[in-house]
Amino acid sequence: MTASYVDELHNKFETDITYKSEDIPLQCIPPAKEIEATLHGVMKLNGLVIRSLEEIAGRGANAVTFRAGKKFGHEVAKYFQKREDIEDALHELSDLLQGQYSFEVWKPADSNTFIIEENGERFIYLVFHDCIVRQTLRRNGQEQEGPLCQTLCGYVVGAIEEITGSRVKLDIMHTGPNSCLKKLILK
Amino acid sequence: MIEITVDKDSCVGCGLCVKDCPMKVYELKDGLSIPVRPQDCMGCLSCHEICPAQALEHKGIYAAKRHYIDIRVCEMLKKVI
Repeated sequence: MTASYVDELHNKFETDITYKSEDIPLQCIPPAKEIEATLHGVMKLNGLVIRSLEEIAGRGANAVTFRAGKKFGHEVAKYFQKREDIEDALHELSDLLQGQYSFEVWKPADSNTFIIEENGERFIYLVFHDCIVRQTLRRNGQEQEGPLCQTLCGYVVGAIEEITGSRVKLDIMHTGPNSCLKKLILK
Repeated sequence: MIEITVDKDSCVGCGLCVKDCPMKVYELKDGLSIPVRPQDCMGCLSCHEICPAQALEHKGIYAAKRHYIDIRVCEMLKKVI
């Protein structure tokens, strides 16, 4: 390593900024455009972690990632107001997921209500539009419905359980490049 | 509501969209794909991705964020195209 290169490196990290511990950043610094490389790096790393987990743990990978997501869901939602009504809970959840995921409650045109009863099961269809999991999988050329999708399923289940206090299940019905259909089964 | 158009000249009647759509939006009629239940479309765009003839068009769709697209790759492509 040449001396000039070392000097160059030192200069790069030398600034006039005085950092005070009470300075709380009020926005993402640097702007999102500038952290594109970081975002893509995180996406690649996440994808590789999941791929390796799948190689080593096989089908058990889904259980691991689901549990991780569920813990995260419980953790985040415990600061939110508790709701008994599932529709209110979903509203809370959409606030909770803002920025990472966006979803809407969905129903087929021939159904009158969003809460559908079929074969002794009560469920709600959720269509996920913006999803960081899908972005990550597509960035790495990986298949959807795998362990990384289970993190989101776990997250939603954990958060809904924390908000409503009752148990739910989330099944992946269909995955697409623009949105995914999921079935929230109420127990 | 989402409006779906199938380009009749392009559609090869392979039926992949019929098979792939979870909401049974399409049906094959006279060797062509027809969107019979567009009101049930949830905009996943799986049919777009799977259609070998690129014969489909969806109007009124919410386009999800696409962070995965690498700007550097796009810049390189722009130089070529």
